[in-house]
Amino acid sequence: MKKIDRTVLTETGYIALSVLILSALMQAVFLAVGAWDGAVLLGNLLGGTAAIANFFLMGLTVQAATAKDEKGAKAAMRSSQSLRTVFLFAAAALGVLLPCFDTIASLLPLFFPRIAIAFRPLVGRKKAENRAQPDIERKE
Amino acid sequence: MIELAIGIILGCCALGAGVAMIAGIGPGIGEGNAVAKACEAIGRQPECKSEVTTTMLMGCAVAETTGLYALVIAILLIFVAPGRLVDLLMNTIG
Repeated sequence: MKKIDRTVLTETGYIALSVLILSALMQAVFLAVGAWDGAVLLGNLLGGTAAIANFFLMGLTVQAATAKDEKGAKAAMRSSQSLRTVFLFAAAALGVLLPCFDTIASLLPLFFPRIAIAFRPLVGRKKAENRAQPDIERKE
Repeated sequence: MIELAIGIILGCCALGAGVAMIAGIGPGIGEGNAVAKACEAIGRQPECKSEVTTTMLMGCAVAETTGLYALVIAILLIFVAPGRLVDLLMNTIG
């Protein structure tokens, strides 16, 4: 089996953590509204797992594509995107059709990685500042 | 007459879902182009591989959101909207 790139693992970890935090927030909102039940929890689990798995699979495709030439990378990314869309469709359809999953709670977590990425520059800036600090000290 | 109305509702929902999924083509093309350019960049500067991969991953995830919006709309149009609209029709007719 091919070794998974450290960048892919780090970014997937960041996304997984963000999805977890946002899921907890969503559960809290459901609780506050008084609409919380087991179906919300199961739907959240399904949607969150699908979102994290989708990001991880995309990372694996990107890792494999960077080792290919330009045309091969394009083709690999397109085919991966189609397959991942089918996977997400299946997961979302399960969440909508089965009564044990709440529709909103299973669809909303699919967008959590996008929200996490919107806040990514804040985390990235802190890291960059930490990295830049020793350079400034060295110059001084 | 009611059968015709239900048929129109189901047909329009299916058509809407199909049209919504046209948005799924864009992310595939965009991600393909982004990765191709990233390959080029890594080839030029192999020492920047991890930075390029991180930026590319985030870019791909952002590009994919458009497809996700379309997917969710399509799923709602296929599985949720027909039932609600038919119920509404039945309630209106009485």
